Amino acid sequence: MSASHVEGKLPHEPEKATLEGRNKVLGFWLFLGGETVLFGTLFSAFLALRHQVGDGNPTADELFKLSTVAIATAILLVSSLTSVFAIQAMHRNQVKAMLNWLIITVILGFGFLGLEIYEFYEYVHEGHKFSTSAFSTSFYTLVGFHGAHVLFGVLWITLLIIQISTKKGLTVVTAPKVYVAGMYWHFIDVVWVFIFTVVYLMGKVG
Amino acid sequence: MANHHSAAEEHGKRHKHEGPQKHIVAFIFSVVLTVIAFAMVAAGEINSTFVYIMLLVMAVIQVFIQMSFWMHMKDRGHLYPIIAILTGVFVVLTIVVMAEYWTWW
Repeated sequence: MSASHVEGKLPHEPEKATLEGRNKVLGFWLFLGGETVLFGTLFSAFLALRHQVGDGNPTADELFKLSTVAIATAILLVSSLTSVFAIQAMHRNQVKAMLNWLIITVILGFGFLGLEIYEFYEYVHEGHKFSTSAFSTSFYTLVGFHGAHVLFGVLWITLLIIQISTKKGLTVVTAPKVYVAGMYWHFIDVVWVFIFTVVYLMGKVG
Repeated sequence: MANHHSAAEEHGKRHKHEGPQKHIVAFIFSVVLTVIAFAMVAAGEINSTFVYIMLLVMAVIQVFIQMSFWMHMKDRGHLYPIIAILTGVFVVLTIVVMAEYWTWW
């Protein structure tokens, strides 16, 4: 292993210092291209089925509360910014600041998840279950898939925090992991932009 | 190793770390676009076709800003990421247009 980071002297962009790191970042971009298609298919199913509510079942306009969605959006947007700050701290070799920003990101991620669970719980009580209508199924599949991605993201970043703070420290091996996790988190926020636009706001418009 | 070490140090001195300014500007733009989108829907009473188009345009702008700055797609050496994402977007647009216009034809 290179000694270049032993005394905390990492190269400027440690995630791109090795070929392996660069390949990980590139590979992750290809994965995100595939994720785009995955979410695109779920969006297309939702778009095709969003008016298929059936008789007497709640419609999008009746269900959605803009205030809840606005809070969830704010949480995820701020968490995207805090993960930017984490990467910037990493580039300055400020490991502690990086870990703190990552911890804030994870806390916000859990806040988002809690809000989404509360929201789904409310919907079920209002008679909007997974199998209620084609609309409800495609809604839960799309938004739930995004929520599952958020859950995976917070678990992933939590493990990274533990690994870096207790065992490995910030090295040219761990830096690409943090960078890639940051990319993943931004991607989750990007998908949410389309979810709040297409699912919630357009659902409200009718 | 010693060579590598000094090279990294030198590089660190030469290279100015980017500040948080442009990321905060991207954040403010995202907040403004989001607030406008929510306000348009909350206000109601506006022609819904116009609202649809505006919502989509603002979402695309916000995503473009976030991917350019936060995911560094505007930086050098991001040709393959752009190709990967645009390939995904091409597939998505095809499927979404199909779903939206042909499903209930």
